[in-house]
Amino acid sequence: MSTLHLIRQSAFASNDFAQCLSVLDHRDSVVLMDDGCYNLKHSLMDSLIKRVGSVNINIIASHAQARAIEIITAVNTIEISDVVELTFTHNKVITWQ
Amino acid sequence: MTSIEQNSSASPQESVLAIINSKAPFSSSHGKDALDVALIFAAFEQKVSLFFQGDGVYQLMDKQDGSLLGIKDYLKTFSAFEFYDIEDIYVCQPSLASRQLDEDFHIDDVQVLSSIEFGLALNRHQHVLRF
Repeated sequence: MSTLHLIRQSAFASNDFAQCLSVLDHRDSVVLMDDGCYNLKHSLMDSLIKRVGSVNINIIASHAQARAIEIITAVNTIEISDVVELTFTHNKVITWQ
Repeated sequence: MTSIEQNSSASPQESVLAIINSKAPFSSSHGKDALDVALIFAAFEQKVSLFFQGDGVYQLMDKQDGSLLGIKDYLKTFSAFEFYDIEDIYVCQPSLASRQLDEDFHIDDVQVLSSIEFGLALNRHQHVLRF
């Protein structure tokens, strides 16, 4: 069973990202979107980056670019339309918002 | 003919209105609402100061582009502050540091203050609105 996690809020303003990381399983995917893009600079991101390989991390390119956020190489850049495909390749979706 | 002048009740050291911005710019209307209130007060020649704290500091960061999200980019209106005589713009330094942000703002004359200075500046105001 794999889960797609949609992260939509800033971890600097809410606890959602921390809660997501606590339930994250291997084979899961994470998508940083909307204010979730800010989490790229959060200290919690380090623990997530360490799990690359077992966990697939993505970010919506336009959402990051609009916020002047620099994307790091460990994270895949995708478009919002790619999220549709991801919902089909995972068993469940959790939206953290 | 006599003219009636209204004296401001604020002492010279005490400004009237402080507006605290605490939300990131694009996912809610808080930032836009705060901007509207600031410009309305300023248009009536009320002294307004702007404070940016927490995720609100993202509103000031350079190279943002709301048009990529299909949003009318209200951040560009920030450059009108000087025409409205909004001169006191304060940013909380620890909020920048925890978000790994440089002091790279899209408007000039922003004052970066420590937590203590930020609190002192806020306490110089009669009224506070937080968005």
